[in-house]
Amino acid sequence: MAETMTTGLKLGQRVPDFELVTYEPSKGDFGKFSLKDQIASKRWTILFFYPADFTFV
Amino acid sequence: MGADIITVSTDTQFTHLAWQRSEKELANVKYSMAADPTGAVSRMFGVYNEENGLDLRGTFLISPEGKLMGMEMNFYNLGRNIDELMRKFKANIYMMKKGGNEVCPSKWKDEGDKTLVNPGAKMVGRVHEALQGS
Repeated sequence: MAETMTTGLKLGQRVPDFELVTYEPSKGDFGKFSLKDQIASKRWTILFFYPADFTFV
Repeated sequence: MGADIITVSTDTQFTHLAWQRSEKELANVKYSMAADPTGAVSRMFGVYNEENGLDLRGTFLISPEGKLMGMEMNFYNLGRNIDELMRKFKANIYMMKKGGNEVCPSKWKDEGDKTLVNPGAKMVGRVHEALQGS
């Protein structure tokens, strides 16, 4: 299985705004992630993609 | 400077909840677990596998200005080293604080470690000496 995985994003460039629905273990509730909010609150973001729940990460 | 870790897979938030509650390794998780069931965000970052709908193991560091500062992508079978992730993260914060005049070489781990200051013409071919000097 060969993958052609190239991201259109370039290092040093602005990432287009995006939102994701989240589960927040610290609150035991659902929430929302938004890049715009991160920029507004001047926080770094580490995005950590993985294949699937119930597997090793 | 604060940072937030967001894990992302193509599972739903409901699956994230069920997994976090059943897997003892995740009992103390504090980070947000994001759901990308359509793969839209995963595609944007180039980690989405169209063949099976799963994400590759990709890590992306985004600055408080929304700029992409680092990325790492591994195929399925290789786990990531959190120490290396934190090293890159600390280095990025350090370099930003220094305003772009210092660079962190590969062995840089934390503040106080050897950096290279104002790398320019005089350092070409003299990196070894620059790393040895104080």
